[in-house]
Amino acid sequence: MSTHSLGPSESTPPLGQQALDAGLDSQEMIVNLGPSHPATHGTCRLVVALDGENIRKMRVDIGFLHRGFEKSCESVTWGQVFPYTDRLNYVSSTMNNVGFALAVEKLCALQVPDRAQYLRVVASEMHRICDHLTMVGAMGLELGAMTAFLYAVEARDLMWDRLTELCGARLTSNYVRVGGVARDLPDGWVEKTLATLDRTAELRDTIDKLLTRNRIFMDRTRGVATVSREDACEYGYTGPCLRASGEPYDVRKAAPYLVYDRLEFDVPVGTRGDNFDRYLMRMEEMKQSDRILRQCFQKMEPGDIAVRDFRYVLPPKPLVYGTIEGVMAHFKLVMEGIQVPAGEVYSYTEAANGELGFYLVSDGSGRPYKIGLRAPGWPMVASMPVVLKDALLADLVPTFDTFNMIGGEVEQ
Amino acid sequence: MRRLVGMIVFLVVFPLVLVGFGYAAYAVAGLAASAFLSWGLQPAYGTALANVVFLMLVFVMLTATGLTIGERKWSALMQNRIGPNRIRPFGNPLAGLPYILADGLKTLTKENIQPSARSKFLYEMAPVISLAPAFALFAVIPVGPRVAVSGQQVALQVASPDAGLLYLFAIASLAVYGTSIAGWASNNKLAILGGVRASSQMISYEVSLGLSLVGAMMAYGTLRLEEMSVAQGKLLWGVLPQLGFILQPVGLVLFFASAFAETKRAPFDLPEGESEIVGYFVEYPGMKFAMMMLAEFIEVVVLAGVTVAVFLGGWHPIVFEGWLKANLSPLAFAAVCAGAFMLKTIALAWLQLVIRWTLPRFRFDQIQKLCWKMMLPFALANVFLTGALVLADPTLEWLAIVGIVEIVALVALTAAATKAPEPAHGEHGHGGAHAAPAHGH
Repeated sequence: MSTHSLGPSESTPPLGQQALDAGLDSQEMIVNLGPSHPATHGTCRLVVALDGENIRKMRVDIGFLHRGFEKSCESVTWGQVFPYTDRLNYVSSTMNNVGFALAVEKLCALQVPDRAQYLRVVASEMHRICDHLTMVGAMGLELGAMTAFLYAVEARDLMWDRLTELCGARLTSNYVRVGGVARDLPDGWVEKTLATLDRTAELRDTIDKLLTRNRIFMDRTRGVATVSREDACEYGYTGPCLRASGEPYDVRKAAPYLVYDRLEFDVPVGTRGDNFDRYLMRMEEMKQSDRILRQCFQKMEPGDIAVRDFRYVLPPKPLVYGTIEGVMAHFKLVMEGIQVPAGEVYSYTEAANGELGFYLVSDGSGRPYKIGLRAPGWPMVASMPVVLKDALLADLVPTFDTFNMIGGEVEQ
Repeated sequence: MRRLVGMIVFLVVFPLVLVGFGYAAYAVAGLAASAFLSWGLQPAYGTALANVVFLMLVFVMLTATGLTIGERKWSALMQNRIGPNRIRPFGNPLAGLPYILADGLKTLTKENIQPSARSKFLYEMAPVISLAPAFALFAVIPVGPRVAVSGQQVALQVASPDAGLLYLFAIASLAVYGTSIAGWASNNKLAILGGVRASSQMISYEVSLGLSLVGAMMAYGTLRLEEMSVAQGKLLWGVLPQLGFILQPVGLVLFFASAFAETKRAPFDLPEGESEIVGYFVEYPGMKFAMMMLAEFIEVVVLAGVTVAVFLGGWHPIVFEGWLKANLSPLAFAAVCAGAFMLKTIALAWLQLVIRWTLPRFRFDQIQKLCWKMMLPFALANVFLTGALVLADPTLEWLAIVGIVEIVALVALTAAATKAPEPAHGEHGHGGAHAAPAHGH
């Protein structure tokens, strides 16, 4: 314990203590929340120095989920990185796939077919809804409203069922490939998904009714852990947390990628940057994602789901088994990997928690020379000790939730 | 369809079972009284003993253990789940009832983990101190009216001290010791936070708990709960029974909220705060934990019982009361009354479950604010208003008129609050949280 002590706080005197009062010789209490604690969704330790229940000092101890993502990627081919990216933000895995694929394609100067782009948007936005549902539901759970959480989980599992039909996996989708996506929509999937969206909207509205107008919920979240617009920019916030503070920055609007410039959607912006605003951002973004999905289903046209270039995309199996060129292309892609031109690139997308950036360096071989990741959740988690200074212990848990720390991406 | 039939059967059979239970309770109490008389002892002692067994050990215990399953089943219904159904004795989950046995067996056979730095005596005492007062509270609650059984006057009430409600307050205050001692003795930082939260919360809410009942004491002019129950059968203007919630609607709301805080259940479950501090009982394994949990459920039943006795007409069946009284034998009528009391108590316990699974949790400064800045002034105002009205009109008719006005105002306020504009544009300057599209940047 001694190595983790935070020392006495010099800043503020204990509450209610006047200059002339004889001080009770009180000490700050150092409490370990985690690594295994109901509040830390992943595995994360918060060392908190408490004065009563006021947080005087706090340290976030991350790294329990560190798996060496960046380094591991250097020893596999470009195509084999995708399963690793699934494990970054495991609640919304497709968005990580998309982010990485876009970075590689930028380096290769590949133009991906329209349908593949739409499919990427569809899978991403569905995952965005899942991610936001998780955060909103967990918010209820942290505040003791278990029922809202279970509604969110029900809706999320419905979405995951659809994604399973699309990608073959519930959590780690591994759906996107360099140059396109892995497979096209199954038959009747769109109708089923539309029905799922309706049911999700229903459940979302129920949660909305249970929480948003709830006096206790409003009192618990309004004005708690307020981050001003300047501070948010300073800390490097992105995504819903930044927008909650009043900065209307959304990569989908600011630097449109895929087909986002052809779709109509609004970006909600908050005013106060407190927990309530961060929660509202998520609720509104779910509605917008719903809108985007419905537009995608209307605008999508049949076509290729990947580029027809076997330097990047695996040839179909009949070609592999039937032609010598097919075998060669397959062998080269699997054994050597995609030959990405030498160079470096930074590509960024709007993931559920904010800007997900990939910095890639290629030496022209089939494997990445270096991969750097900008995890969206990291700046928020890093700012927690400052934001939560002098807050109450009871507010730490919901704030941790609205920042939506996902161990997989923050700890890489 | 099967479920619907089941529900209808349940709604008919369950009250009848309760009436039968009341009948049995009267019979046993009467027998005990006669037996004590024949042994040369006070017959009242026999009645009390029979009531301790039948009311406290059977009714309260069964309801509390039933609530452990009822809570899981009902929360499952609320959350689109099935709930406990893995134990199937005859290929049928039996609505989760076998879980009562299974849970008992499990908690009894769990490893007895003892934190090495605990305060040994207090650590072992805490579950007992939690459980005992919760039980003792039920002693003064009148479940059924006084009636002659085999020549003895028998009431379904363990004891009827003059102090009545004051006894209730005194014993209810003891409940806080179990909780805070549990937090202290287990020598765990999270547990002590829970214990401290519990003591501050429960001591604060005792104030409003007490004051919210003062109005009822004045209106009925007594501290004894059975006299309050009798008084609630009287009619105002010859039609309206002078029920507690008509005379004291504000008192009912305040009392119910304070009772919630005393039972430490959501939205007042800060001492537990499972997502923050895990709870004051974090270091208690197996049956010791189960005792604390059971104490919570017993408090739910007991406080439902007090609410019924003071505010919801006590053991009066209210509907068809005149007809029942005229057509049934006194004993049978008393059994119906006891059944009505138990039914009301269980319905209120169910209401507490619904609230517990709907609302999020308060923060502890908000809880204190709610108690001292909202509930206490309201309770005081209620005391003064009731006092003035009772003085002005001892027939309580004015009090009833004011009470009905208060009920209408409460309902109107609640309806207005649910139709108020979006909170995003509310008074806290949250304007524009759903702001216009931001095009580019």
